[in-house]
Amino acid sequence: MSESSSKPILNIRDLVVEFKTEAGVIRALDGISFEVGEGEALGIVGESGCGKSVTALSILRLIPNPPGRIAGGSIELDGIDVVSQPEDKMRKVRGSLASMIFQEPMTALNPVFTIGNQMVEVIRVHQKVSKVDAKKQAIEMLRTVNIESPEKRIDQYPHELSGGMRQRVMIAMALSCSPKLLIADEPTTALDVTVQAQVMEEISRLQREMNMGMILITHDLGVIAETCTRVVVMYCGKIIEMAETKELYENPKHPYTRGLLDSIPRIREEKLESLPIIEGMVPDLANLPKGCRFAERCPKAEDRCRENEPPLEDTESGGKVACFIPN
Amino acid sequence: MSEEGGNTGRESLWSKSRRKLMRDRVGVAAMIVVGIYGVIAILVTFELIGQNWSQLGEEGFGGMSFAHWFGTNINGQDIFSRAIQGTRTAFQVGLMVAITSTAIGGFLGAIAGYFHRTIVDEAIMWIYGCIDAIPFYLFVAAVAFSLKDGPLQPWGMHIAMIATFWSSTCRIVRGEVIKIRSLEYIQAAKAVGVGPLTIVRRHVMPNTSHILLVQSTIAFVGAIKSEVILTFLGLGVVNGVSWGTMLSASTSDVLRGHFGNFLGASGFLFVLVIAFNMFADALQDALDPKKVSS
Amino acid sequence: MFHSQLIKPMEDPLVQVKNLKTYYPIKGGLLNRRMGDVRAVNGVSLDIQAGQTFGLVGESGCGKSTFGRSILRLQNVTSGEVRIDGQDILSLDREALVKARADMQIIFQDPYGSLNPRMTVRQIIREPLDTHEVGEKVGRDAEVMRLLEICGLRKSVADRYPHEFSGGQRQRIGIARALALKPKFIVADEPVSALDVSVQSQVLNLISDLQAEFGISFLFISHDLAVVQHISHEVGVMYFGELVERASAEELYSSPKHPYTQALLEAIPQPLPGREKKKISITGDIPSHHDPPKGCPFQPRCPVAMPQCAEHKPPLKPLDTFSRHQVSCWLY
Repeated sequence: MSESSSKPILNIRDLVVEFKTEAGVIRALDGISFEVGEGEALGIVGESGCGKSVTALSILRLIPNPPGRIAGGSIELDGIDVVSQPEDKMRKVRGSLASMIFQEPMTALNPVFTIGNQMVEVIRVHQKVSKVDAKKQAIEMLRTVNIESPEKRIDQYPHELSGGMRQRVMIAMALSCSPKLLIADEPTTALDVTVQAQVMEEISRLQREMNMGMILITHDLGVIAETCTRVVVMYCGKIIEMAETKELYENPKHPYTRGLLDSIPRIREEKLESLPIIEGMVPDLANLPKGCRFAERCPKAEDRCRENEPPLEDTESGGKVACFIPN
Repeated sequence: MSEEGGNTGRESLWSKSRRKLMRDRVGVAAMIVVGIYGVIAILVTFELIGQNWSQLGEEGFGGMSFAHWFGTNINGQDIFSRAIQGTRTAFQVGLMVAITSTAIGGFLGAIAGYFHRTIVDEAIMWIYGCIDAIPFYLFVAAVAFSLKDGPLQPWGMHIAMIATFWSSTCRIVRGEVIKIRSLEYIQAAKAVGVGPLTIVRRHVMPNTSHILLVQSTIAFVGAIKSEVILTFLGLGVVNGVSWGTMLSASTSDVLRGHFGNFLGASGFLFVLVIAFNMFADALQDALDPKKVSS
Repeated sequence: MFHSQLIKPMEDPLVQVKNLKTYYPIKGGLLNRRMGDVRAVNGVSLDIQAGQTFGLVGESGCGKSTFGRSILRLQNVTSGEVRIDGQDILSLDREALVKARADMQIIFQDPYGSLNPRMTVRQIIREPLDTHEVGEKVGRDAEVMRLLEICGLRKSVADRYPHEFSGGQRQRIGIARALALKPKFIVADEPVSALDVSVQSQVLNLISDLQAEFGISFLFISHDLAVVQHISHEVGVMYFGELVERASAEELYSSPKHPYTQALLEAIPQPLPGREKKKISITGDIPSHHDPPKGCPFQPRCPVAMPQCAEHKPPLKPLDTFSRHQVSCWLY
């Protein structure tokens, strides 16, 4: 099944996001559509420039305007129309209905305030509780993310914590108001691999326990394989493939997905002569080629691929792919 | 295997900045105004306009008229011509101080920053610390006084300004160079075996050029304003005419109800300083390396 | 596999490092006195044969980058010995060091910070040639072109500026610069970590090809075990400033001995959905340099630690007499 059976917590249709740059107006997102069901973990994978972070920011309407703007399409978050919502109502949504965790825990936390201060602030924005009660809640949240001696840690400053702990604090803050949707934008990329495993374990566990929808954005196909039930693959602002995780990894339909799976360095049984690669590089969004955006790097490209853009269509296995010659 | 390079075609960071600057309409307008002043200064230097500034007239304190746009002063001299002449003085002081103080400050700042945590850095910081501790006008007075009867007398004001203005440029450049020092392209040059002074010259200083440019515009305006005040205090221009001499004269004029000198000098000064400040802001935006990137 | 284990080196290794230590003083208190040391590199020894790659892995803070820079004397060394092609690098005077640099170069991690934004590609690659006065001035431009071609870049890029290129291309430029002096040894400090995943393989292939063609030895530093596996002949694992395990590439991945190595390999997420979820075997963080653990540095987090581990530090020694596989653990 490519779409979840319960009512989706997030429904994005034909979303277009534009940015004004020196080179003109570019479309960071060029008409993307997908859904996230209640309690579902969806992975979005792609490389720089594909638009995955822009997607995340759009959901919470955090795209800086100027130079960016949502130019078309719709975003429905638990029934709320995000695109047209007035700013003061959006502020209520952020952090309580949907929360976000970012890649760099150091810069996302204010170094001059204790983590307790910051967590209490977040809690009190969305709940009418006293500072004392909010602090108690914050300590509980720290315990939930397995930070030891939370009563001590609550009064510490970000620099006194390690990278992994700071990321846990971010997670605790994001979850403090029990959101229905968690957006995690490369949450473990900046962490060491042993810490990464711990943090991903926390995120997965909490997601299951709280029956939270989650969008996990990353370039790491390994992390997605271990956490997500469905995957969306993006390239140059478009979705080029969507499928259930197992299906995507065992039978990738789009040549880019296949190339990505092959070329990402991973531990292999046999040593290879030469690592498989994807030729060329990602095109400049200001200078997109005609037709399929992947055609110039695609080993299977035909003339029609360079003339027309392939539409995103259903596949027999329940996924979607945008390719004239899928596998 | 081979790859296409770049997307916007070849251009240096300078031409990117220039393009960006050109798009800033306020900045371009300001630049044009400054340019007009510059042209005036050049024309005056070559004695092409404003030459009748010292011509005595019959009518002292004549009001504004067609012949005298700002009227005449106590000696019947045309105020407008005097203001034009003053432009030359302003630019002369401005350019000389701006270029020299920025060059000295930039160089010493780069050395101090690159040799951070060594005696070189400590020495330079100590020097500018001392200079900063002396009140500016006292310093100028001391310099002007000591040069009074020597050949350098007309340059006393310039020397004093250069000797104080360089320190702010030095400080800013030093801070930037301390950051640049730890960048990997500096390490790369070391790994190749390039000597430290060559690294400062070839790698560090070009990457501070955006700071130097902005600092020099600040010094330019600062020098002109300082000249006005110094002349007003009697420490600046003694012979000849400048906006400072005009403003100085205007104190007594105004008491008698004549505003020609005041309007002329302050008008010219005001417009130039505003235009220059706007231009400097636009320049800073255009040159900001964080914004000038692909 | 058996074969590569027992082969004794036929000649002296190109790079020999003995007991290298790089300490930074920790200053504190009212008078900024020296209170202790950050032992970034705490007695590491290794050697690299000509034409081979040694992969040095470890997580952030383990000292691997400091080690790489210390060998090249881009970092002040506290004690130890470094010999490259027989020359004692640490005792060279300034002039001799500049000459020696021609034989030992470095590729950096950050494709954005490692190239001077105000210089053209041509100027960047020519600089080593000009500094060491290689050949005649007239011939140097042709050499720059040759280097660009070797690294998979078109000649037309020579007069462009770094900001006009992608991360992968900038790394190629950095590699071309490192090759300019025809070094025998290159330290590659996380050269692909900052690149998009699909570009990483391209650059890794380039490095392999260069080694095959020019016989350059590499010290390949990375936090990513997957990246290192393909390209290394031997692999060493660092933790808290020390080498805790070292073996041939096949040996390390197929039978890792040190608990930390095992945990690292376990922790790597694999793109194989449905794989049985592993149990996280280690928790906690790396120890603080202000309060280093007594005995084995890994012992506070080790799932199989024994009482003696907290008392005495295990030496790095071979598994058995003829083995090149060395471990620093009381289990062996």
